[in-house]
Amino acid sequence: MRKLSTVLLAGLVVTAGAGTALAADKTEISVSRFFGACEADYGSVTDVTKANGECGIITALINKFNAESTTTVVKPEIVEWPGYDQLTARIRSGEPPVISVMHEAVISNYSSRGLLEPLDEDFAKAGIDVNDMTDAARQGVTKDGKIFAMPFDTHTWLWHINMNLFKQAGLVDEAGKPILPKSTEELFAQAEQFKQKTGKPYFISTLANETAFYTRTFDTLLYQQNADFFADPNKVNFSSPEAKGALQLLSDIYTKDYTTKNQDYAASVSSFAAGDGGVFICGTWLVDTYDQEAKKEGVALSNGYAVMPFPQIYSGSPRVWADGHSWVLLKQDLSDAQRASAIEFMKFLWDNNYEWARTGHLPIRKSIIDSDQFKALPFRADLAPLAVNGTALPSAVKLQFSIQDIEGEEVGSAMRGDKPVDQALADAESRINELLANAK
Amino acid sequence: MTDVTLSSARPVAAKRPGGASIGPRWTNALFVAPYMVFYVLLLVYPLFKGIWMSLLQSDMFDDTSKFSGLANYYRLFNDKVFIGTVWNTVLFVVMTVPVFVVIGLLLALALNRSDRTAAALRAIFFGTSVLSVTIVTIIWKMMYMPGNGAIASVMRYFGLDPIAFTTTASLALPAIAITTIWWIIGLPMMLFLAALQQIPGELYEAAALDNASRARSFWSITLPSIRRTMLVVVIYEIVAQFQLFGQAQLLTQGGPNNASRPIVQFIYEQGFRSWNLGYAAAASEILFVIMAVAALAQFFASRKRVEE
Amino acid sequence: MAASEHIVGRGIGNKLILFTVILVAVFWMLPIAWTLLLSFKPNSELMISTASAFQPPYTLKNYTDIFQSSGVFRWLWNSAVVSVGVTAGILILSSLAGYGFARAEFKGRDVIFILVLLGLAVPEQAVIIARHQIFSDLKMHNTYPAIILPGLSSAFGVFLMTQYFKAIPKDIDEAAMLDNASRFKIFWKVLLPLTIPAQATLGIFSFLGAWNDYLWPLISATKPEMFTITVGMASTQTNFAQSEGLGFLMAQAIFAGLPVFIVYLFFQKYIVRAVAGAAIN
Repeated sequence: MRKLSTVLLAGLVVTAGAGTALAADKTEISVSRFFGACEADYGSVTDVTKANGECGIITALINKFNAESTTTVVKPEIVEWPGYDQLTARIRSGEPPVISVMHEAVISNYSSRGLLEPLDEDFAKAGIDVNDMTDAARQGVTKDGKIFAMPFDTHTWLWHINMNLFKQAGLVDEAGKPILPKSTEELFAQAEQFKQKTGKPYFISTLANETAFYTRTFDTLLYQQNADFFADPNKVNFSSPEAKGALQLLSDIYTKDYTTKNQDYAASVSSFAAGDGGVFICGTWLVDTYDQEAKKEGVALSNGYAVMPFPQIYSGSPRVWADGHSWVLLKQDLSDAQRASAIEFMKFLWDNNYEWARTGHLPIRKSIIDSDQFKALPFRADLAPLAVNGTALPSAVKLQFSIQDIEGEEVGSAMRGDKPVDQALADAESRINELLANAK
Repeated sequence: MTDVTLSSARPVAAKRPGGASIGPRWTNALFVAPYMVFYVLLLVYPLFKGIWMSLLQSDMFDDTSKFSGLANYYRLFNDKVFIGTVWNTVLFVVMTVPVFVVIGLLLALALNRSDRTAAALRAIFFGTSVLSVTIVTIIWKMMYMPGNGAIASVMRYFGLDPIAFTTTASLALPAIAITTIWWIIGLPMMLFLAALQQIPGELYEAAALDNASRARSFWSITLPSIRRTMLVVVIYEIVAQFQLFGQAQLLTQGGPNNASRPIVQFIYEQGFRSWNLGYAAAASEILFVIMAVAALAQFFASRKRVEE
Repeated sequence: MAASEHIVGRGIGNKLILFTVILVAVFWMLPIAWTLLLSFKPNSELMISTASAFQPPYTLKNYTDIFQSSGVFRWLWNSAVVSVGVTAGILILSSLAGYGFARAEFKGRDVIFILVLLGLAVPEQAVIIARHQIFSDLKMHNTYPAIILPGLSSAFGVFLMTQYFKAIPKDIDEAAMLDNASRFKIFWKVLLPLTIPAQATLGIFSFLGAWNDYLWPLISATKPEMFTITVGMASTQTNFAQSEGLGFLMAQAIFAGLPVFIVYLFFQKYIVRAVAGAAIN
């Protein structure tokens, strides 16, 4: 018995020793991210150009980094989207990841409580030229004058278009471009025409089980009317005629059956691919996925996919809801080596930002937006203005994800007819203001 | 406590020091001490800490907690969403508990036999109870999905408009209830089965001699005999269903428009999403009060049972 | 199983009832069958529509993918460690305390017992926020003890074991006392073996409870390598996972459900008896 345990123990020591010997060469840092898990398909892919979609590209990027770096091993920790509940719990427990992906909209929650490391000096040392950041990205990651994150993309709200159905509906011009509405009247006229000719709803939208569609679309409609609903960052104002008009518009789209109903995110994503409607209002992250789908033969989208910025249907401005993914360094007792490794990884993402932009997201570097390589990607010429028109909530607004949830819940209940428009706006306003009044 | 008299009648002299003795001794407390450590540190202390926290305005990451008296409670009672969650939770209990009792009992009656078929059927109905809530919700998402879900496909096959269970305000909570019943109907069924097997067969034989109908022997023999089990099932299920969380959080996220958000989800979200610890703690105290009433009822019911 | 068989044991109604129940059972199985079916379909097809579920092609790729990449194995292991830990802890603590409350007198015992009974009324959810703070301050989250220990404070086991010890005839331990055995020896050698049925009941309930616990691991085990299977499966059912890998998600669900289901089939007899035991108690 004693012999056996001695042997076992010796074996343990040897294997443990081997393990540490390997790890000693490189510093390991944990990187927490969402974007899904797809090691099954991309687990060993280090050639990023062969990867597609958010999940594939980020997985391949990290693989590539790990293969190339002589000093650092990134240990990805994949979390549920958006993952802030668990990140919060992790920070509170004193064991945050070294780096985490974070929406720019929520950075200030964490930075204002001293939970993130400012990165200006590190970026300067690493040779990251912050002047190359797009304005949207730089504003998104700058809080109280300091940079708190490495921006990764600007993502906005798009119209993904099924051109095969648009042709059938007579909504394609001679140049082969989709005809899109320029006013609310045109919107209803075209939606009706589409419905008559194809028998399908004009819109596909994610109306079920999440609030993102409602908030992002509603915000966009407010921006287009130049309604400044967060003039005071501690108080939302939804009592304007613009807000009422926008919500009424959504409600009319619903009651007139111009959209698919009751689809959750997964259902709406597949519904568009299956050709169940003309326009899928969703984000930049699906551009590449649908573009790949359109290259297949014999599917609903075959040779018939286009994507455009959210068209301006009010006379105010072409602004659109936007946010950005970014990477933050969480405050904790980091060794110099860990910090250096973290910055090394951020620099790598900065250098490879073009690859991420292949998903459909907008790059965060001016030099990439202006590059021929980027412009050569499909649809990007049409989408490039979004880097300017994409609009986020003022960074002084706290608890932006909670606000988006409340706003989305109320907008959704009015759009689906569960609540009168006025009451939903009043409820949204009072709930958000109550939240902000109690927020630190 | 008859043991004292009993043992004193026996020769005590044979006992040497070191052996166990009857009667109070402080070392006897060592048996309960290990458990009491956990009980005090992880139940009693958090309970009082929670009550204290509910009187503070405190942020998860900000140490500037301020005493604010009953402000959190005042805010709760004026919070439409919170009142909604209480209402949803009560509604959920009302929806599920009678079904657990009725279907549980019917299944138990039908499967109270010793052949293999019945054993297999019991295994099926109880088997789902061993799955975790996250697996159950994955399975039922695939049933409820409006576009591609199984139910929608069947309805479309018959030319009907698919019903959007999880996304219609009036159907979200019933959908969660159906899922929950599917998940854990096994326990009440088993409890009833156990009770049925305690009923002496002679009672039914006598009834059979009297030519009593099946319904009659059910009402006059079965039901009275399992009365107490029924009470236990009712109270157990009330307490259990008040704790609704995972199914709602994963199937509907509490939506649409808060129509299916239970109290526990409210606590979780206030704590970990809005970082409003005092407010979350206050909500959990309300839940505690509601459930304490139910649990005390259970205690008295079971005590009565022991006495009888 | 004689007793009330009579109630169904006569008339032609009997067959009808059985038939109905079998029909219900088939419906009961449908959701799992549907999940199983989808788990054999390629993800790309399911992304368009699940209507193709009844036609080939079928694939095992979703399952082989689990072996390559998914965290499921690690999560299952964590769940096993946690559930065994909770079960063992509860059995030990509850047996000791149950014996103490039922047999070993000391000053203030009855008052303490009533205080413990009051603990039955405290739901986990009512103390969850404070508990999270406590474990945070101790920097203990994301460890096995953090996931296991709160489960040990439950009063249910103590209550159950106390009742059971009380039901054992006192003559048995009195005889042992005459042999001059120590309290602990009586507990360990004489009485504990008699409580094995109750241990089984409590053990099975504790194991299943720990295995399926969701709320506490959700906020305590927040590092993916510390996820229990329940939390891990929650993390995979995000919207994105659903749209990109429906079949894979289904395969994971089936795979994650299997171990405990197999255990259940093996121990079915005992589990049934255990539940019945709890009912009679």
